[in-house]
Amino acid sequence: MSTWQIRFLSLWRREISRFMKIKKQTLGGPLLETFLYISVFGAALGSRIKELHGIEYIVFVIPGLIMMAFATNAFSNNSSSILQQKFLGAIHDQLSSPASPRELLLAFSLGGFVRGLIVATLTFIVAIVLTNLTVDHVLVLLPSIFLVGFFFANLGVLIGVRAEQFDDVAFAQTFILQPLIFLGGVFYSAALLPEPFETLTKFNPVYYMISLVRYGFVGFTEVNIPLALAALTAATAALFLLNLRLFQRGYKLRS
Amino acid sequence: MPAPALEIVDLQKRYPNGVEALRGVSIGIQPGDFFGLLGPNGAGKSTLIHCTTGLAQPTGGEIRVFGHDAISDYGEARAAVGLAPQEVNLDQFLTCEETLEFHGGYFGMRKRDRKERAAELLETFSLTAKARERTRALSGGMKRRLILARALMHRPRLLILDEPTAGVDIELRLELWHYVQKINAEGVTILLTTHYLEEADQLCGRIAFIADGQIAAQGTSEDLAARYDVVNLEDAYLALVGRRELSRSHVDGGVTA
Repeated sequence: MSTWQIRFLSLWRREISRFMKIKKQTLGGPLLETFLYISVFGAALGSRIKELHGIEYIVFVIPGLIMMAFATNAFSNNSSSILQQKFLGAIHDQLSSPASPRELLLAFSLGGFVRGLIVATLTFIVAIVLTNLTVDHVLVLLPSIFLVGFFFANLGVLIGVRAEQFDDVAFAQTFILQPLIFLGGVFYSAALLPEPFETLTKFNPVYYMISLVRYGFVGFTEVNIPLALAALTAATAALFLLNLRLFQRGYKLRS
Repeated sequence: MPAPALEIVDLQKRYPNGVEALRGVSIGIQPGDFFGLLGPNGAGKSTLIHCTTGLAQPTGGEIRVFGHDAISDYGEARAAVGLAPQEVNLDQFLTCEETLEFHGGYFGMRKRDRKERAAELLETFSLTAKARERTRALSGGMKRRLILARALMHRPRLLILDEPTAGVDIELRLELWHYVQKINAEGVTILLTTHYLEEADQLCGRIAFIADGQIAAQGTSEDLAARYDVVNLEDAYLALVGRRELSRSHVDGGVTA
């Protein structure tokens, strides 16, 4: 193993070790939350809304819940981890090491990505057991869900780097991320909304992410899949490059 | 002739708020030196250290660590430096053992080497019994020891100690003195900042005074005393900060007169 590989794996393992040490909060809590969503929307609403576009309501909702679990966990892990380390000064240990900006960024990004992946995978397993969820288009699902995870992991890095207090992270999560996800069609189909809400939904980038993941699972979509996948790839690459530029400049990391 | 352990030429650092923390600092530290950097709070000591270790970005000048440019060849430069910072900046999620092992990993050390080196340092700093405890459970003195162990983990050739004995008890201070003298004798170059003048006087072969972002004087304690026309390092320092009236010889003289 080369020196840079050892450096990168150590940085990455440290990120994973952080959330694994507080599993109840970082894995248990989000799993319970997702289980409650499945219960409420499956058992309660599902008994009244039998189907959407010919798909059992709970099965229609679950892809969005899986995506939401991946996105919010990847985001909150990275934003909290970076801010916490900046706050304690512990990040100086990594920043004064020979690790390059790219190694640092990838390690931080993939820490949250792994946490999101674990929660999303466990949610998927529960859903497979409890509902009639299927995977119709695995070749769309896998790149879509991984890109979504990596996008939000990098968004978490961006917010963590920019943040100066915990309030900044909470603000981004509560007032930007959650509204975008909830209004992006996790629990409903945009086609069923009255105007102008149907059109407004189409300006929400999360709508396209949910549509991609839903198409991967149940084969239903309201968007152009190749175009949405290309746009998601471009947005993820652009965000990664923006973060890389910030790490290279030491923006709010090095004085 | 070997490259200097640390060569700083005309270093400048201006923060975005306009504060000029360093205004053309130049110092040279030879391999094996025990070099002291003294100055009042806000003089620029920590900024100089941060620029050397990559935690701050200089706005001008050059820094070379064993011949490696700290900006363009930062990988080699940082690999040669161990930093024990002034503030306790341990990761509270990690155990003592993990703190050292992860640090070793950041510097590219292989697993077996990391394990062995961490065990050796935990033993040296009397932390073996605390190896599996999280850092937040340590006492203040233990945290200081762990910070020094972490700085030494990757076997740096230049060790930077930024006020390592601030707030520690006498026993630990003497313990740290003995240890850093030992590793200096083994060839590790040391840059020490401290507010304890007797510490600098006893440990450092050469000392630089920094004030207002500039090097005011440098040399041995005797050179500095001579430079300010006083009898010892403490009085030279008081002359630097414009407080000659606080000199103990002056006060003693005043009392007995």
